[in-house]
Amino acid sequence: MKLGGLGLPTLLRIASVLIIVGLVVEIVSLCWIHPLAFVLFAFVGASLIGIGILVYLASLVFAASPSAENRG
Amino acid sequence: MLGFTGILIALIALAIALAALFLIRPSVTAGATGKILAFIGLFILPVLCVSAGMSEQMQRSEQTRFCISCHAMEPYGRSLYVDDPNYIPAQHFQNHRVPADQACYACHADYTIYGPLKDKLKGITRIYMQYVSTPPKKIVISGGYSNLQCLHCHAGARSFEGNPVHVAIMDSLKTNQMSCISSGCHDTVHNASEIDHLKMWRPGQ
Repeated sequence: MKLGGLGLPTLLRIASVLIIVGLVVEIVSLCWIHPLAFVLFAFVGASLIGIGILVYLASLVFAASPSAENRG
Repeated sequence: MLGFTGILIALIALAIALAALFLIRPSVTAGATGKILAFIGLFILPVLCVSAGMSEQMQRSEQTRFCISCHAMEPYGRSLYVDDPNYIPAQHFQNHRVPADQACYACHADYTIYGPLKDKLKGITRIYMQYVSTPPKKIVISGGYSNLQCLHCHAGARSFEGNPVHVAIMDSLKTNQMSCISSGCHDTVHNASEIDHLKMWRPGQ
């Protein structure tokens, strides 16, 4: 399935969910001073936020680009 | 520290609120304002939150309570309270020769340019040992304790440079050929296995 085929609203929703979950994980990691909190932030929180940002950027490139017909 | 954490949590809350807006109503991005808001909420704010979060986590990982929160490190934390001036870590901690809230980091940090990164990678292998495999019964520093960590503070200090014993072996110390904690010198370090039998200092008493 093409990424652009998902449509802009779906990609924005996926990006939003990933970023929200990543940010919630970051808040949890900030409430706790422990090596596992660092691992939780660095490997789970930051990864989810990073993937969310990439999905958002992909939505700009793929879903928001005009179709061949619209380009004339 | 709490102030920075508070600002960071407020920033994260704002980012969550904006991301939630695009989760509920992605059609907001149809207009120019919505597109700008989406760029702020789904790119700029999350990048800021991750960068600030990483900086905060790095600072937290320098704290003494962070280091001794692992079960295997607990006796090493207790050794900072040994009531005996021959115990080098206890002497440094109790007399604030190192910042008390960064006591482990001050003496165990790699002070080279990529040191913090190397320390983090080593730390991750220790977390793996603690939670996935088994931590060794006797914890040793791979490659031994480097004199550079002592010299980071002591080099150039009058009490260090003026000591005739140090002067006689200065080259060996600076090139790490002879360890500061070698037998006969400052050889009483954490001694964690004996910690239950030692007299402890209780602050405020």
